[in-house]
This record gives sequence, C-alpha cells and structure tokens, in this order.
Amino acid sequence: MTATTVAPDRSQLSRLSFGGIMKSEWIKLFTLRSTIWCYAILIFLNVALGLLIAATLTPSLVGGGNSQFFWVQAATLGIGFSQLVTVVLGALVITGEYGTGMIRSTFAAVPGRVAAVFAKALVFALVTFVIGLISIVATALLSAPLLAANGLAPDVTDGTAWVAMIGAAAYLALIGVLSLAIGVIIRNSAGAIASGLGLVLVAPAVLGIIGGITQAAWMQNVVAVLPTSAGSRVYAYELAGSDSLPLLSSDGVLHFEPWQGGLVLVAWVVVLGILATVLVKKRDA
Amino acid sequence: MIEAMGLTKRYGAKTAVDDISFVVRPGQVTGFLGPNGAGKSTTMRLIVGLDRPSSGSVTVGGRPYAQSAAPLREVGVLLDAKAVHTGRSARGHLLALAATHGISSRRVDEVIELAGLQSVAKKRVGGFSLGMGQRLGIAAALLGDPATLILDEPVNGLDPEGVIWVRTLTRQLAAEGRTVFLSSHLMSEMAQTADHIIVLGRGKVIADSPVAEFLANASGAAVRVRSPHADYLAPIVQQHGATVVPVEAGLLEISGLTAPQIGELAAPAGIILHELTPIGGSLEAAYLSLTQDQVEYHSQGVPA
Repeated sequence: MTATTVAPDRSQLSRLSFGGIMKSEWIKLFTLRSTIWCYAILIFLNVALGLLIAATLTPSLVGGGNSQFFWVQAATLGIGFSQLVTVVLGALVITGEYGTGMIRSTFAAVPGRVAAVFAKALVFALVTFVIGLISIVATALLSAPLLAANGLAPDVTDGTAWVAMIGAAAYLALIGVLSLAIGVIIRNSAGAIASGLGLVLVAPAVLGIIGGITQAAWMQNVVAVLPTSAGSRVYAYELAGSDSLPLLSSDGVLHFEPWQGGLVLVAWVVVLGILATVLVKKRDA
Repeated sequence: MIEAMGLTKRYGAKTAVDDISFVVRPGQVTGFLGPNGAGKSTTMRLIVGLDRPSSGSVTVGGRPYAQSAAPLREVGVLLDAKAVHTGRSARGHLLALAATHGISSRRVDEVIELAGLQSVAKKRVGGFSLGMGQRLGIAAALLGDPATLILDEPVNGLDPEGVIWVRTLTRQLAAEGRTVFLSSHLMSEMAQTADHIIVLGRGKVIADSPVAEFLANASGAAVRVRSPHADYLAPIVQQHGATVVPVEAGLLEISGLTAPQIGELAAPAGIILHELTPIGGSLEAAYLSLTQDQVEYHSQGVPA
C-alpha cells in the first residue's frame, strides 16, 4: 500500500469516558434556551409563591398554629407548580434529541448508549436539585422576616425544617428524572410531556376525588403511592409532638413517613429507569 | 477497514439489507451507490451500531464499533444533516460531542474553520441551510481525526464550491491512509472521487469492484454518430459486428465498436462524419444499466 498510515500512536489520545460524557451532557443542557427559560420559571414560581403566601399569613389566619409548619409551607409552596416545569424540562432534554435527530449523534459518540442516558439523567438531576435548593432556601430566608412581621415566629435554626427543604429540592430532581425516563420510553415530546403531567397532575386529582367519594381504603392507597403524593411526604414538616401514625392504620390506609415517601418515589424512578434502560439498549436509534 | 459479513436488517416484513458481505479498504475512497431505498443508509447505520443487525455482523478496524475505547477517533460519521439539535449553536453542538472524548475546544475551532463555518458557528442550527447543515455534519465527523470516515450523501445540498471541497477532502483523507466510505446519488461525482465502488440494489450487493473495472464491464457503451451518409454507414459497421440503433435521420447509436474503429471504417468508404461521440460507458450509464431492475421506486411518466 502506497498510502501513509495515520497518527502512528493513537493510544495516547483521550478516549471516551463517563466524566467526558457528563461534561458533554452539561454543555448540552446549558446550550439550549429551553433550559434557561425552564429554570428561570422554576425559580420565579418557588420564590414568588412562597413570598406571596408568607406576606399574607397572619396568626389569625393560621389559627395560632405552629410557626415552623407554616414557614416550611411557605418555602415549599411553589413546588406544586414548579414540579410541572421540571416535568416538562425532564422530558424535553431527551425527547428534544429524538425529535431533532440529535440522538443519532449522541449514540454514535457513545455507542454503549446507557452511559449517555445515565449521564444525562445525573446532570439534569444535580442541576435541578441545586437550582431548586437555592430557590427554596432563598424563599425560606426571605419569608422568615415577612412571617415574623406578621406575628409568627419562625425559627431558622430548626434543623428539621431545613431537612424538609432539602427534601423538597430532591423531590423536584426526582420528579424531573421520572419524566426523563418517560421521555426515553416514549421518545416524543408531546407524548412524554402529556404522560408526565398526567401522572403528576391529573392522576392524583382524579383518583383523589374518586377516593374521597368512595372512601375506599384501596383507592386512597393507590393515591398515596403515586409519585406526587408519596414524594410530597419528603418535604412535609411534621408538627413537633404530633403522634406519628403507623405505616398502615387500623382502617387499612397507608401513611408514609418522609423517608418512606421518598423511597416510594425512588422506586418509581428505578422501575421506569430500568424499563427505559432496557428499551434504549434494544431499540434502533 | 470496514468488514461486513452476512449483514442483514429486517424492519418487520421488509428486508432493508439482505445478507451482504463486503470490505472497505483503507487508503482509498470507496463509493457506495444504489437507488433510493437500496439499503445504503441502513448499512451505514448498522456499521456504527445505531441499528442492530437482524443477523450477520460488521466490524470497523477488526471489532464492532461499540467496543471501541474511543469511537469518535475510530470512525467519523455523517449520517444525515439532521442529526443535530436545532436549538443549539454549531459550536455548542461540536463542543458537546467533543467533550465525550475529551477532545479540546481548539480542535472544535479547527474543524469549524476546516468546514468554513466560522461566520455561523455561534448561530443556532435551526436556521442553517441544507448545505450549512452538511458542512456541520462533516465537521462533526472530522472531530476525532478518525481513521475511518463514513459519509452518507455528503455533497447533498452543497454548492459547487462545497462539492469540490468534499471531493478534495475525501481524496486527501484517503491519501493519508484512512478508510473513506462515501455514498452518493451523483454518479458523475463518484466517478471523480471514488477508487472503488460497491453498488447496492434492493438490499443486495450487485457490484463490488474498482472503478476502472466497473466501467469496463459495464454494458450499454455506445458511440453516437452523426453523418449525412448514415444509411451507408449502418450496413458497414453491422458487418463488423456492431449493433445500430437509428435515433433520427442522420443520427445513429452504434454499440459493439469503439469510436476510432467506426472512424476507420467510415474513412475508406468515403463517408463524411459530422459527429463521433462515445456515450455511455460512463459511470452513470453503467450504474443505470446495472440497477435498472433493482430500483424500488420507479418514477412513472406523467399521464397524458
């Protein structure tokens, strides 16, 4: 052969690595406008709704209730709405790649595929957790003086309250990853967002109404294990001195401690994550 | 070096690639031809593991692509210009791909310059023309300075300057000892670029040979002869074994003899020739005659 050979020693060159894939996913996340918009809206919802409620709560309104409970409520009030943003963004970070064809570039660079999807989920979860935590902590710190001005007495040195707030940020991240897993399974933006919102928003509402009407324990239990209901236990502030309920009460209704609710949400993520992993390996890109 | 062994891909009941085996060698440009739907793009996707083969196997540099420790350094691939997120800038796209392999941002800027994308590197890909998209795809394929390049229709949508750029680039890459595997619908383009040709028809390899051999074996080579004495010329060449097809008054298409042979037969008979043009025998004609029966989607004449 007359042609010269290429790059005599290629083994010295950098290779595919998980760290590299993480960095790649980080670049991908922050080079899209949808990311910036979604996180801006998430921060706005968390802070604005928290401060709004903190400014309007008075001891007469809360019936002289526990100040800590209402402080945590104010700091995490936005979660009910900002979780919808993480559902949308979680789906978009993967379905945006399927929709545009980018996924073929991604999987050509990372032919093992699973590492690319894991790195994507990990980067998205970490960023969502950090941004969620910053916005919640900011809301807590800003709302404490507002509540104090209204005559409530939040104690910012209360560790239990901070654990609940960290739990709220973790909840946002996990709901986002759940939506990402649905995105991997469905591969279509509209379908994945609709399914994610259906699971997070519609299912608890509809099943909750049915459960409320029928008062059937099993129906209430179905609602209790949904990602939103179980997950929301993660950032519930347990009133000090309140009797802790057993996991299964005498009438057969499930009641989760915060850590138990967290485990149920993690189980959702794991199950859908395994399904997504199997499909991503099996399917043609 | 790309080696396919009994490679088969079925989508439901349809067999896109049907038990094909071929070798793409380094140091030359291998053209991959075939009508629409012949299975070229599927084959290329199978090589880089985007589609799973139904049976058979394909290796790059002796092992499956997915087992490479540095896939982007092994194979650069342009699958189609649409394998890019439209909301990201060209540079952002390349930086993200480069990061997976720890490829420096200096190399990213290098390939941007190489592909002539400097002025649009910061712009979102959604606004790119087809040609710009192709240039970005080629830039991405070159990122890892790979030993093998797989380019699916690289000149699609490129302006004449871009076509020449791709031709020069692929020739140069092959001259450096790389394996270059190139699909195209433009036979004339392939004639100027490829050293070796693999033709696919309905999922099967119907030709696999060097370009020169491919042309020599091609049927349908003919010579167009314009002469005021066409009626006298026809019987003379027929005596020498040629086939004559009268096209119009004074115009013949003669096959079975070369242009010099026809000229030498006409001269002693005192026949005046106004035109003596070899036709067919081009890659185009050879390709068309070869794939005539293999075309999946025939265009029908417009009904009167």
